[in-house]
Amino acid sequence: MHFEIQYNPAHSLATAHLNVGESVRAEASAMVSLSSQVDVATNTGPAGRGGFFQKARRGFLGGESFFQNTYRARGPGATVSLAPQLCGSMVVHELGTGPSLLIQASSYVAAPDSVDVDTQFQGFRGFLSGESLFFLRASGYGPVLLNAFGAIETIDLDGELIVDTGHVVAFTEGIEYSIDKAGGGWIQSFLSGEGFVLRLRGRGKLYIQTRNPTEFGHTVGVMLPARSS
Amino acid sequence: MVMKYDILDSPDFAFLQLTLNQGEQCVAESGALVAQDSQIEVRTSMRGGLLGAAKRKLLGGESLFQNTFISHGAGQRLFLASAAEGDMRAQTLKAGEEFFLTSGAYVAHIGNELVIDTKFGGVRGFFSGVGVFMLRIVGPGTVFYASYGALHPVSVGAEGYTVDTGHIVGFESGVSYRVRAFNGFKGLFFSGEGLVADFSGHGTVYVQTRNASSLVSFLHPFRRVKSNNS
Repeated sequence: MHFEIQYNPAHSLATAHLNVGESVRAEASAMVSLSSQVDVATNTGPAGRGGFFQKARRGFLGGESFFQNTYRARGPGATVSLAPQLCGSMVVHELGTGPSLLIQASSYVAAPDSVDVDTQFQGFRGFLSGESLFFLRASGYGPVLLNAFGAIETIDLDGELIVDTGHVVAFTEGIEYSIDKAGGGWIQSFLSGEGFVLRLRGRGKLYIQTRNPTEFGHTVGVMLPARSS
Repeated sequence: MVMKYDILDSPDFAFLQLTLNQGEQCVAESGALVAQDSQIEVRTSMRGGLLGAAKRKLLGGESLFQNTFISHGAGQRLFLASAAEGDMRAQTLKAGEEFFLTSGAYVAHIGNELVIDTKFGGVRGFFSGVGVFMLRIVGPGTVFYASYGALHPVSVGAEGYTVDTGHIVGFESGVSYRVRAFNGFKGLFFSGEGLVADFSGHGTVYVQTRNASSLVSFLHPFRRVKSNNS
């Protein structure tokens, strides 16, 4: 299978082209359209991942669900079109002989069965429950489809870079990371509006998004009428 | 004589420029006007009792009015835009030729004989649940319509094609469709998609790459929570 991406940078649409018998798993709300030769199954990924999904349901991912649908091609010429919730680009990261990829959960869109997406990844768990910082670990081989809010910039890291957590899309495993506050102290960090940052160190590939969904949500969300719960 | 028009700033912020000569006119959705030359007269009317009623019911408080722009001079420019960011397209129809649009996609039309039929009942029942109803456009004339996101054409063949109802913009008359809950009950609750339309026949379906209800569900958790004490 392969992904074809159109309409970057603002209004990207990805079409998964599947050969007979091939399948792709995609974040549930991403489906735009599908050809008739496709069978659909809703699942929550392999067994033992319930904990994550329950967390996801509680809004851990900033409103994003993490239910995945599996689309399987039963005939030739099968396609599934996928789009992100917000405006922005999509990009394909090819997994192969290189390292695994750590993906900010809301940046993940889809991958074929040959890619294992580990939702139990413990790297950041329990660190900052208030921030919607939750990472998935994608390993195996094949294309992984990622989305961004805004454009996607690819950075070849060699050294150290500090990135606002809301702008991180994904980075290759092997890059060392730690969560830090942006300013000098916790209060300063809070007041500066920069919140938390990821301090990344080493060599690898890093994807960042040029807009921050949480910032956008707060900016627009407070202008809306209050909700009752 | 065909009226001159251009769709500028496509695909992300499409912007319609029409040039009207003496006596020519264009009808546009209220709110679509961006700018106009001074010799264009604007007449506001409530078009179609049913359109008004249906819109009031489904779109909650949206204006019931449409504007007719009539030129009293040569080379008068009229600039129109839709509310959401995205693309725009013109569909020119011959006499009797039909085209179907979701109500929110309509921006404007030219051609005094063009008919916009909101009484098209085949769909309304299905779509009312998601706040969308269909317009049946009958030529001759040209209708301008807009998408949220890119406007993606899909050619439907004998095998059929399925589209999330929130992503449908319009379709040609050669295709028909049936709406169903996506992947059954479980799908309706857990898969994130509500309803889909299965298209069959031969013709083009226009799909938009973004969907307003996705934006709403993204923003919802960021709304303040009403205090119980107030």
